[in-house]
Amino acid sequence: MITEKFKKVILDELNLEDFDIQDDTTADQVPGWDSLNHINVILAVEKAFNVHFKGIEVLKCQNIGALQNLVNSKLEQK
Amino acid sequence: MIKTMINTNETEWSRWVINAEKHPDKDAIVHWVAGEEPFRWTFSSIIKAAESFAVGLKKRGVQKGDVCATVMRHNKYFYPIYLGISSIGAIPAVLAYPNPRLHPDKFRQGIEGMSKRSGLDWILTERPIADIIEPLVTEDNSTIRGIFFPLEWEKDLKFEGKELELIEQIRASVSDTDPVLLQHSSGTTGLQKPVLLSHKAVLDHVANYGKAINLTSEDKIISWLPLYHDMGLIAAFHLPLAFGIPTVQINTFEWIMIPSLLLEAISKEKGTLTWLPNFAYNILADKVHEDELEGISLESMRMFINCSEPVRNKSHKLFYKRYKDYGVKPESLCACYAMAETTFAVTQTPPDTEAKVLWVKRQSIAKGVIELNGHDENSRVCVSSGKTIEGCEVRILDENGNDLEEGMVGEVVISSVSLFDGYRNYPEKTAAALKDGWFYSGDYGFCLDDEYYIIGRKKDIIIVAGNNVYPEDVEDLVSHVEGVIPGRVVAFGEDDEDLGSEQISVAAETKITDKEEHKKLIMDIIKAGMSDDINIKKVYLVPPRWLIKSSAGKPSRKANKERLVVKKENIKWS
Repeated sequence: MITEKFKKVILDELNLEDFDIQDDTTADQVPGWDSLNHINVILAVEKAFNVHFKGIEVLKCQNIGALQNLVNSKLEQK
Repeated sequence: MIKTMINTNETEWSRWVINAEKHPDKDAIVHWVAGEEPFRWTFSSIIKAAESFAVGLKKRGVQKGDVCATVMRHNKYFYPIYLGISSIGAIPAVLAYPNPRLHPDKFRQGIEGMSKRSGLDWILTERPIADIIEPLVTEDNSTIRGIFFPLEWEKDLKFEGKELELIEQIRASVSDTDPVLLQHSSGTTGLQKPVLLSHKAVLDHVANYGKAINLTSEDKIISWLPLYHDMGLIAAFHLPLAFGIPTVQINTFEWIMIPSLLLEAISKEKGTLTWLPNFAYNILADKVHEDELEGISLESMRMFINCSEPVRNKSHKLFYKRYKDYGVKPESLCACYAMAETTFAVTQTPPDTEAKVLWVKRQSIAKGVIELNGHDENSRVCVSSGKTIEGCEVRILDENGNDLEEGMVGEVVISSVSLFDGYRNYPEKTAAALKDGWFYSGDYGFCLDDEYYIIGRKKDIIIVAGNNVYPEDVEDLVSHVEGVIPGRVVAFGEDDEDLGSEQISVAAETKITDKEEHKKLIMDIIKAGMSDDINIKKVYLVPPRWLIKSSAGKPSRKANKERLVVKKENIKWS
């Protein structure tokens, strides 16, 4: 389940006013989220939630829901 | 130093076979995948695998001279497939696998446009995109005769009996002046200009370029560059294969997601050479976590070669500051000027010497004369791309075609032993760029103390992370968005200091005045770009007749960029 905070971090990083992000939304469906901006989105999420991802963990995320789950699991480990 | 003189009538295939005999167990290509043990092709195992794919190609009707386009993802079998195509005298052409955001129709149209221009005969691809490509085979006037899925083929086939005799005859008939590869110059898929290169052009080039970078048998190349780009294909693939040195191939898409992969590969494999577009220095300096650098050593590196977009001194400094404690030496920060039309490199800064930097008075550049300025804040910082490599000649010409002296800014014009013969099936583009054996690059630059500095483009090309984007393509896409006044659009590059590259901006006239509807229109414009895999970073909406026209009657990119970006003019909606 995509949280409001998580969605806002992504939208802010991509300078988007609004965009419908669901669990199964993929990065390539989000305007502005291309390969060059991908790392900026990841760093923004890390900073907002004070977590740290390993590159391979992010690479395995098939959609934005999986990235949300990764954030959740990092927060639980704290 | 490795032997750099080539034999008369030598082909690339014969060179690869000789290398397999000389160094059968030496690594040729190390296929790198994040989180996995790398797969290692030796010089002998890759030739054996290539032979098997060659049998598969011949069985399916591929002939000498046929163009075989590969549209495949990062796969360990890609390399022997490429070599296999070449081994039967056919011509490989590496095309980009479609990004998921690229609309299938756009991808198909791109391949269709390319096939008509480049004369693609066969497509070697993967099953997931077969449905997109297949309609092209049955289409009237299509040059494409069939689609193959070589990853599904048997992997241990050999030529035997009469087939063996036949293939030996074919290989013997291949001349060094026959084409060995088709690469595409910059531009979006359908408009890319096809460049056909001969065995001789490529082998001469890697010999001359090998000298320029003091290539030795101890060198090892590490690369994440895509092989559909000349920098990846020539510098990080043909060069090492021809010289018999290893190359480590990292998945481009994995690298952009995990930039530290390059550093990990350098450290583990003890790499010595890599080629990078300028933005990569910024990404590596700013976007890698400290904990990803645990145990990393970059001491083995002789040269980080900055190439394919304007070289920025600031990017070099950021990179050096971040990695000096990991073994990066200032003298390893080098630069190169290259293009597909000359096979690859034209100039190169010397090994073991940091690329020279000049501080030039901005006003003097505008006048076309270079006046140095110490380290003044108002200076334009220019980084040298080095001296011409052997086999190349460079002239700087004024707009009337007259030669300019050192320290004068003009168009960079090149002659090379590895110069292409012209764009394939594109006489009008060839006539515009190739005159009396000289290639008119469209780049502006100057020469000082025998070193060349590239400072701009004659045309308004936007260079985003090493990829050239033509503003016309973006403007055409945006013109079709509902709410935008057709033809009243300009696209231009805006500097992104953090990225160390440019990003695409668009200014579009619209009759819509409502602010909420503007938000929707901006989103529609960005989505139009996405459908063609073009990321529009910023959209400026302006009212009708706001955009200034050039003398040719079209909206001027330069003048309107100046108003929006430099002067930051207020846009009034009545």
